[in-house]
Amino acid sequence: MSNCSETLQRLYEYIDRELSDEEQAEVQRHLDDCPPCRDRFTFEENVLRQVRRCCRDVSAPPSLVEKVRRICNQ
Amino acid sequence: MGLVGGLLKSKEPDLVTENGRHPDSVRQCLQQEALTYIDSLYRTAVRMTRNPSDAEDLVQETYLRALRSLDRFKPGTNLRAWLFKIMTNAFINEYRKRTRQPRNQSLDNVEEYYVYAHLIDSGVQPESRGPEEEVLASLTDANVVAALESLSDEFRQVVLLADVEGFAYREIADILDIPIGTVMSRLHRSRRRLQRLLTGSLVEAQPYGDSAHE
Repeated sequence: MSNCSETLQRLYEYIDRELSDEEQAEVQRHLDDCPPCRDRFTFEENVLRQVRRCCRDVSAPPSLVEKVRRICNQ
Repeated sequence: MGLVGGLLKSKEPDLVTENGRHPDSVRQCLQQEALTYIDSLYRTAVRMTRNPSDAEDLVQETYLRALRSLDRFKPGTNLRAWLFKIMTNAFINEYRKRTRQPRNQSLDNVEEYYVYAHLIDSGVQPESRGPEEEVLASLTDANVVAALESLSDEFRQVVLLADVEGFAYREIADILDIPIGTVMSRLHRSRRRLQRLLTGSLVEAQPYGDSAHE
């Protein structure tokens, strides 16, 4: 099994789903057995989730949509 | 990949007419698909320009440029990523030049202290050393936006593309025209900085491994 240091080095690639299936599973196995690493990963994910939620809560104003629609229909 | 891009892939040889233009039907499909990404482009533009009115200008400029060069878009490739690339270039070449926004990363530290003070003013008290999760839970959207907007353009950009828009590293590398390794290191540094801002801890985080527990 990989150790904590190796696992933490893959933290973001794991969260971003950028690892191979095999590597992803290896990190997952470590997290299943290591509560401190699991807490760390959960915390990191929560920070990013909060950023995503806050930023995605924005839509283009209707007046802009209308202007762009006109541009697209030219 | 967008719906139209996907549908068009199998018909690729027919996509460009003799004058080098997509047939009108293809153009129309692309224009309609492009319109579906307006919210995505706008929310990124708002965070990049830090200003809703400038964001509207940037999004319009992006669509004008995209339609001018639509014939250079290869159907079957990622239209959304292509639009983001155009917007990124428009931001760097036009907007930032016009508004003389600082792009100097050395400002980051100064800005960090500003946001830290701002967080304390707003009632969040990171120095109380409560669990990080508690601090995180007490943050408002305004805190998150302030922290994000205090990052340098380069840092903010990768966070928005990866964490808000969900682009893959490879796509971000193409959008920003930088190597994939640079995407990863920039993303890593941006997230660490953002996390320190949000949890109020200005002490440099321990490098990975030093706090490892085995």
